[in-house]
Amino acid sequence: MNKKVLWTLFGMLLFVVLIASGCSSDEAGSEDTGDDTAEASDDTESGEDGEKTLVFGRGADSVQLDPSQITDGESIYVTNQLYDTLVRYKEDSTEVRPSLATEWETSEDGLVWTFQLRDDVKFHDGSDFTAEDVVFNFERWATSADFIYYGYMFGATEDNLKGIIEKVEATGDYEVKFTLSEPNAPFLYTLAMPPFGIASPDAVEEYGDDYFKNPVGTGPFVFEEWVKDDSITVVKNDDYFDEPAKVDKVIFRTIPDNGARFMELQSGSIDVMNGLNPQDIEQAESDENLQIIRRPSMNVSYMAMNTDQEGPMGNKEVRQAINLAIDKEKLLTLFEGVGKAAKNPMPPSLWGYNDEIEDYGYDIEEAKKLLAEAGYADGFKVTLYSMANPRPYLPQPKVTAQAIQEMLAEVNIEVEIVENDWDTHLAATENGEHDMAFLGWTGDNGDPDNFLYVLLDKDNAKMGSAGNVAFYKSDEVHDLLKAAQTEMDQEKRSELYMEAQEIIHEDAPWFPIAHTTPPLAASKDVVDYLPHPTGSEPFNFLDISR
Amino acid sequence: MAAIPQTTPTPPGVPEREKAATAKSSSLWLDAFSRLIRSKTSFIGLLIILLLLVVAAMAPVVATHDPTDQQLLDRYLAPSGDHWLGTDELGRDIYSRIVYGTRISIQIGLIAVGISAVIGILLGGIAGYFGRWVDQVIMRVIDILMAFPSILLAIALVAVLGASLTNAMIAIGIVGVPQFARIVRSTVLSVKETEYIEAARAIGAKNNRILFQHVLPNCLAPIIVQATLSIGTAILDAAGLSFLGLGAQPPSPEWGAMLSDGRAALQTAPWVVAFPGLAIFLVVLGFNLFGDGLRDALDPRLKQ
Repeated sequence: MNKKVLWTLFGMLLFVVLIASGCSSDEAGSEDTGDDTAEASDDTESGEDGEKTLVFGRGADSVQLDPSQITDGESIYVTNQLYDTLVRYKEDSTEVRPSLATEWETSEDGLVWTFQLRDDVKFHDGSDFTAEDVVFNFERWATSADFIYYGYMFGATEDNLKGIIEKVEATGDYEVKFTLSEPNAPFLYTLAMPPFGIASPDAVEEYGDDYFKNPVGTGPFVFEEWVKDDSITVVKNDDYFDEPAKVDKVIFRTIPDNGARFMELQSGSIDVMNGLNPQDIEQAESDENLQIIRRPSMNVSYMAMNTDQEGPMGNKEVRQAINLAIDKEKLLTLFEGVGKAAKNPMPPSLWGYNDEIEDYGYDIEEAKKLLAEAGYADGFKVTLYSMANPRPYLPQPKVTAQAIQEMLAEVNIEVEIVENDWDTHLAATENGEHDMAFLGWTGDNGDPDNFLYVLLDKDNAKMGSAGNVAFYKSDEVHDLLKAAQTEMDQEKRSELYMEAQEIIHEDAPWFPIAHTTPPLAASKDVVDYLPHPTGSEPFNFLDISR
Repeated sequence: MAAIPQTTPTPPGVPEREKAATAKSSSLWLDAFSRLIRSKTSFIGLLIILLLLVVAAMAPVVATHDPTDQQLLDRYLAPSGDHWLGTDELGRDIYSRIVYGTRISIQIGLIAVGISAVIGILLGGIAGYFGRWVDQVIMRVIDILMAFPSILLAIALVAVLGASLTNAMIAIGIVGVPQFARIVRSTVLSVKETEYIEAARAIGAKNNRILFQHVLPNCLAPIIVQATLSIGTAILDAAGLSFLGLGAQPPSPEWGAMLSDGRAALQTAPWVVAFPGLAIFLVVLGFNLFGDGLRDALDPRLKQ
C-alpha cells in the first residue's frame, strides 16, 4: 500500500509539472506575438540603428479602427495615432492648436467658420490631402446614424442626418468653409476630437464596409496589422508633417486581466499599461524599473437607471431611494485612492460644474421611506449590467457591482449582476436591455456639453446608439442644453449648465459614482509620456531610452 | 458500506434490489468493505469526504461570520484570530465563505452526477441489452458527445442555457453521461449472457423486468465506482465554470468564483485565492482517493 502513496505523490508531482509546463508554453506563445519586441529591444541595446518598439498593454481590443463609427476609448487610443483632425489638442490640455488646419476664423454671428489647410500633407496611401477631402469626410458622416459621435456632437437625428452643420464647402484647394444652422459654442473644440479624424476618401471607397479594418489617415503612425483580440501594430509615418514619431513601431496588446498585464510589465514584455489594479499601485511605485503616470482627471463613472421603463426604474422616487441606499463613501474605498466621489454628471475640473448641489448622502431610513411611498416597500428585482473589464473611470467593475448588490439588498432590492465583454456591454446598454448599468465617460473636448448633452439629453436617448443609457428624456434639460450650445458667452453658458445639473440631480437618472485619476504604469525607459485628460494621446512625442 | 448509498445516486427501482443483491452475495460486499478500509489512501479519502459532509451539515455552527457580509473597510486582511483565513476583496470572511461553499460543492457533486448517472445508466442499459440498431444509434450519439473536450462542451451548454449554478449543474451532468453509458453498456453486455438472465427469460419475464430487476442491479459495482470518481470531477468542472463566470453567480460563495474574484490580488493578498484553491484540491483529492479505493475493493480479480 505504501507503493500506492508513492504513486499518488508521484501523480501529484506530475500534475504540478504539467501545469507549470503548460504555463511556460503559454508564455512562449504570448512572447511569439511580441517577438518583434524582443528582437527590437535587443537591437536597440546593441546598436543605435535598431528599431524602437513601444508595446502598450490594455484591457480590451479596439471595436473598430474607423474613428467616426465608435465611441469607446480603446478604439480611440489607436485611431488617435493614425488620423489627424483639423485642429488638435495641446499636449496637456483641451486648448486647441493647429494641425491639418493652420488658421481659422469665424463670422460675427458664429455661423460661418473658415479654415486654411496645410498644403504639404499626404495620406498614408500616398494621395494628397486637400479641402475636398475634408468635405468628403463631413458629408460621409452625415449619411447615416452609424456615425455616432457626429450625432452626439452636432445633434444629428434620423430625420436630420446633417445636424447643425448645414454646409461644408471647399472654397479653395486648401480652404474649407462650414456653415452652421445655429451657433455652436464648442464647435472648434469638437473638431479636435479624435472621432473627427480625416480619412482618405480613396481608401474609404476602396474598402467599403471593411474600411474599419483598413484605416488610412494622415497621422504620425501608419496602420500595419490587426490580430483581433490580440494586437494592433502601427509603424512610424516617416513623412509626417508635424513632429515625427521617435519610436518606429507601436504595438497595442490586449491582455484582459489586470494582474496578468501588470506581471507582463514587470517582466518587461510590455512597456506601458493602463488599467492598473488600484492595489498594485504601491508595488509599481516601489519597483525601481517602473513609474506611475497619473492621467489628469476629466471623467465620471456612473450607474445609469433605465428611466424609460414602466417598472420601478421609471419611478423618480425609486431612483432617489437607490441614490440614498448606497454608501458612496464606503464604495469609494474600492478605488483605493484613485477616485473621488461624484455627485454631478460632469467632473469638477470643468467650468460650469455646480458645486452648490448637495449629494444625496447615505440614509437608509429615508431610502426605505421613499420606496414605501413609491409602493415598493417589499422591494423588487433588477438587473445591473456590468462590463467584465476594468475601465479607467471604474477600475474594479465586478467588485463594485457586488458591493452595490449587497447594499441594495438592505432595502429589499434584489440585484442580478449581468456581466458582459466590453463590446457586448456597450451594445446591450445602447439597446436599453438593462435596468441598471455601469458606464462612464472620459471628456473629449473639455466642454460641459460633451458630458451633459451626450450623456443625458433626450436627443441622445436613441435605442441602438444611445449615449444616454439612462434613456432620460427631460424637455427642461433639453432646452437648457440646447440654449447653452447656441450661446457663445461662457459665463452665461456656465449658468445654464448649473441649472441643468440641478434638475438632473433631482430627477436622479444616475447614481454618479466617481471621478478618477486613472493611473498608468510604465517602464522607466519610457520618457516624455504625457497623459492627456481626454484619455488618449498621440505617441509621436514620447521616446524610449534603451 | 454505510457511506456508499449516501454518495451514490441510485437509479429508479434499484434500492430494494440492492438489498437483495447484498443478501445474496454478502460476501462480495463484505469483502469489498474490509478491503476498502484496509487501504490507507481510500481511508484518507473517506475521512475527507466525511469531513466535507459534516462541515456542510453544520455550516452555520462551524462558520464564524456571515458568508456574504461585506466590510468594505476590512478588505484584504491577512489571516488572523478574527478572520482565520483572512478577508477577500469585499471584506468578507474567507473561512466562512469556504465553509458555506462546501454546501454548494456537495450539491453540485450530487446533482450533476445524479443527472449523469440516471441518463447514462438508462441509455447504456438499453443500448447494451437490446443491441443491434438501438445500440448503434445510442452509442454513436454517445461517441459524438465524447468527441468534445468535456469542459468545452459544458461551456457551450451553459452558453445556450444561460449562466447560473443550476444550468452549470445540468451542463456538467450531461457532459458526464457518456462515461456512465459506456460502463453500463459493457457491463450489461457481459451480464446478459449469464445463466440467471437466461433463466429469467425462460420463465417468461418481460424485457423491462429483466433489464431493471436483474441486469442493472448486477452492474452496480462499476456504477458506484464511476459515480464516486465523477463527483470529484463534477466539483472541479463546476469550479472551472464558475471561475469563468458561467456558474455560480455573486454573491454565492462558490469556490471557483472565489478563485476568480480573488485573482486581481494574487500578488498582494495571496490568501484570497490560496484557500479556496486548497479546498477544491482537498475535496477532489478525497473523492478520487476514495473512488480509486472502491474500484480496487470491488474488483473481484483482486480478491485475496
